[in-house]
Amino acid sequence: MADAPRQNFFNLIRVQKDLEKIAGAALIRVPRMQEVIGEIAELEREAQDFILHWAEVIALSNTELTAHFLGQVPAAFRALDQAAVEDWIIKAMDVFDNRGLGFAIEVFDKLDPWIEAHERNRTACKLEQIAGFLRHFVRALGGRTLNITNDQQAWTDTEKIFLPTALNVLADRAANGRLMKSTAVYLWAQNRYGTWRYRALEEAIRQLDAAVTWPVYQCLEGVRLMAAIARELPGLAREMEAVAYVDEAHAASWAAFTAAAAALAAPEASARDSLALVADFSQVPLPAARRWQGEMFPQKVREALFKRVPREKEALQQALSALQPEHEQQPTEDGSEAAEGTQAANRFSIAQNGQAGATQPEYELRYDGQAVPMSAELQDLLDSIMQDMGEMAEDYLTPAGGSGAYPLDESGAGGEGHLKDLPSPAGKLWLYPEWDYARARFRDAFCALTEQDVPEGDPGFAEKTRVKYRGLAKSIQRIFEAILSEAQRQRRQVHGDELDLDALVEAHVDRLQGREMSDRLYTHFRKAGRNVAVMFMVDMSGSTKGWINEAERESLILLCEALQVLGDSYAIYGFSGRTNKRCEIYRVKTFNEPYSTGVERRICGIGPKAYTRMGVAVRHLGKLLGDVPARTRLLITLSDGKPEDYGSYRGRYGIEDTRHALLEIKRSGIHPFCITIDREAQSYLPHMYGASNFTVVDEVAKLPWKVADIYRKLTT
Amino acid sequence: MSQATGATARMIQDEPYYEALGNEREVFAAAYGNQLPVLLKGPTGCGKTRFVHHMAWKLQRPLITVACHDDLTAADLVGRYLVKGGETQWVDGPLAQAVRMGAICYLDEVVEARKDTTVVIHPLCDDRRILPIDKLGEVLVVPPEFSLVISYNPGYQSVLKDLKQSTRQRFVALEFAYPEAALEQRIVESESGVAPEMAARLVKFGAHTRNLKGAGLEEGASTRLLVNAGKLVQAGVAPAVACDTAVAHALTDDPELLQTIHELASAVF
Repeated sequence: MADAPRQNFFNLIRVQKDLEKIAGAALIRVPRMQEVIGEIAELEREAQDFILHWAEVIALSNTELTAHFLGQVPAAFRALDQAAVEDWIIKAMDVFDNRGLGFAIEVFDKLDPWIEAHERNRTACKLEQIAGFLRHFVRALGGRTLNITNDQQAWTDTEKIFLPTALNVLADRAANGRLMKSTAVYLWAQNRYGTWRYRALEEAIRQLDAAVTWPVYQCLEGVRLMAAIARELPGLAREMEAVAYVDEAHAASWAAFTAAAAALAAPEASARDSLALVADFSQVPLPAARRWQGEMFPQKVREALFKRVPREKEALQQALSALQPEHEQQPTEDGSEAAEGTQAANRFSIAQNGQAGATQPEYELRYDGQAVPMSAELQDLLDSIMQDMGEMAEDYLTPAGGSGAYPLDESGAGGEGHLKDLPSPAGKLWLYPEWDYARARFRDAFCALTEQDVPEGDPGFAEKTRVKYRGLAKSIQRIFEAILSEAQRQRRQVHGDELDLDALVEAHVDRLQGREMSDRLYTHFRKAGRNVAVMFMVDMSGSTKGWINEAERESLILLCEALQVLGDSYAIYGFSGRTNKRCEIYRVKTFNEPYSTGVERRICGIGPKAYTRMGVAVRHLGKLLGDVPARTRLLITLSDGKPEDYGSYRGRYGIEDTRHALLEIKRSGIHPFCITIDREAQSYLPHMYGASNFTVVDEVAKLPWKVADIYRKLTT
Repeated sequence: MSQATGATARMIQDEPYYEALGNEREVFAAAYGNQLPVLLKGPTGCGKTRFVHHMAWKLQRPLITVACHDDLTAADLVGRYLVKGGETQWVDGPLAQAVRMGAICYLDEVVEARKDTTVVIHPLCDDRRILPIDKLGEVLVVPPEFSLVISYNPGYQSVLKDLKQSTRQRFVALEFAYPEAALEQRIVESESGVAPEMAARLVKFGAHTRNLKGAGLEEGASTRLLVNAGKLVQAGVAPAVACDTAVAHALTDDPELLQTIHELASAVF
């Protein structure tokens, strides 16, 4: 036992020696030097090494600062864990770099405020930690997809749910997380249960004034929404109640108010019922806001609504026109099909399935009274419209007229024109037709396309990507290796490393029966058997600028590395362009070229250019891919939105041309597939690529992983 | 060969529980009466297999089910010679058995099977109605009682596992989807024995998970999973735990989605 004090003494000596060696000059300036050394010596060995390491680093910058650091670090270790101490040091070093010595010393010396802030941080729930979960959760609850994003206050504009970056109201992080979730759910409920339905909103804005009667309405809606949540999601309602109130008096005030407004708890109560009650309750004392109540900004909701309503109306009309039986929508040559259009208006109708007021009311589209099968996307669209309007006005159900919706200007007003006035470009020029859905004809030799190399970009990007996704790269590699081993065992081979028992028995039988025996009696492990050629078609339109472009490049770098394992033949091309006269294809890697640093630099050089004229790019790349001898040919598009170009190449015209181009290459045995980041892609991608030939990646950061995963799924 | 494919012929004695989604029973019966083969499309766990069982019972025919896998060859279906005590002996495969006894043969997840199986499926499915057995030098003429039923899940995205047009165009196709809420509730109720209220909650939970399809989940909870959860509940497991174990972990490994589904379960109960 006498060893312990001796050990301590040795520790002390060792720490002192180490410190002298590293920060000798600084050590002398530490007030209460011996005491501090003693305190450091009592720490764990790991903490000591940590302190020595940082003392050395700080000493490189400034001796004075090191002295202050050493003076405070034992106290810091008493209050914080090592990660937090490291944050504290980094903060001081940042301040030193940016604002100088005085301020940095202040950070080290004022340890207590730092510890307090850290405590607060420990119990706070940060939005970024749970945003991913909340997105899934709110989506799963149903209704229009609401994005989660951050703002000073909690509110919703019916497109997004805004939540504060962090919540630290309750005692621990889990409780704050529940509060954050409750806030999101309450705002979801406003959308789902009709607070922001068009008519209710307009009436509320007209009748209420912000200061006096709006808070009454807000409380009444609180009662109604909470009743709806309790009815449909009782467990969640209990959880919300548990975090809602400051104290019992607060809870009691809400209980009393809820009892007074009990009429609003009925399943059929709507926002307009709340509105009707406002006058009755204007003299009643209002309970204070529940913690997750958030704010209401009717004008902002109105703005979002006014943007969305015409957009969805148009989308629905287009979808209906596609659904309309072929023979009834043949546009006459001069495009005068208005008469037919109005006739058809009365033929589509909407019926609701299931009981009224259910969480997930389902709407059924009927044509001449017969239910029409709907895609999931159309169902979503109907849901969204019904969520806004509560009913379907007749004009919504008028299919869009063939050429009426997107007048085509051939005059060149939109920047398009005939190819004869083309400036002669450098390099080879290809001419491709373009499909005009309104005329149901090709426009012959309408698009002029050139190929060019992508300029080489910063090779540091590739290095950075590899470091950033170290773990991911390895797991992608492993997944791809697994694909190979799956396809390896080949049966009934002439040579091989194991006997094929089935074949052997069969051969024996043949021998007994006096027939010719097969000599294919072995199983063989071989790396062949994959015969896949893939073309990656990368969207280089201007809209990809920033994150999306970066994610595209990262995905390609990771994928190329992994594809080396598989030995599949692949090529990468970018596409962009402005008008039909200047469609551009950018070579990143051709099929014949091996993966090299040159390719890597070109991937790094992929940058946003102009517009997305997709059809012609599909045709050109489809042709290149068609020339490659392979059993399975894949065209994978990485994109961020729908086809769009200067002039008339937008909306339905662009979509139909792209769809036609995809059908053309499908016919030549190529499988097209699309990976997109466009959240609204559900409305047009199934039409272009077919129901299961696309995927929407909801977070840009997930793209690299997704691309590899999808590639694996597609080719096994 | 029945060992190799795990298939056995059996008569179904008791009526298998089945709730019709639409007119699929009438269509199947009509197809059967006209000797047309049937293709069942739909997501996993929506009742395709149960439907075939039900129809086999209704039509009073033996049923042979083959679960297709990627090593399943034409010989596995038709049959092959085996050696027994130095003698060769022919053993019928499930398809040949079914043809001989006039049974219903059900090839589950047919896209998984090797491509050479189409060689035997095609002549069975058009107006030839024959099953050639090369090794025996025999051509079986298919009796009118025989019927071929195949199923596949169009949601699979692999381009290597698609049903060829030449195959699919030989079939009468029935599409299956998850039943609508009221019907699904009845199914969960009678399959698992839970109270109507609990069944309604489970179905609601299922509907919520289906909203996540395409946004992280490949498929939402199938009716089968909901029935499983119901059975656990009926056996005394707490509903949230039942949903967690029977549904959440069966659907995904992604921690964020697991948390989502877990919280959905506790939200609904």
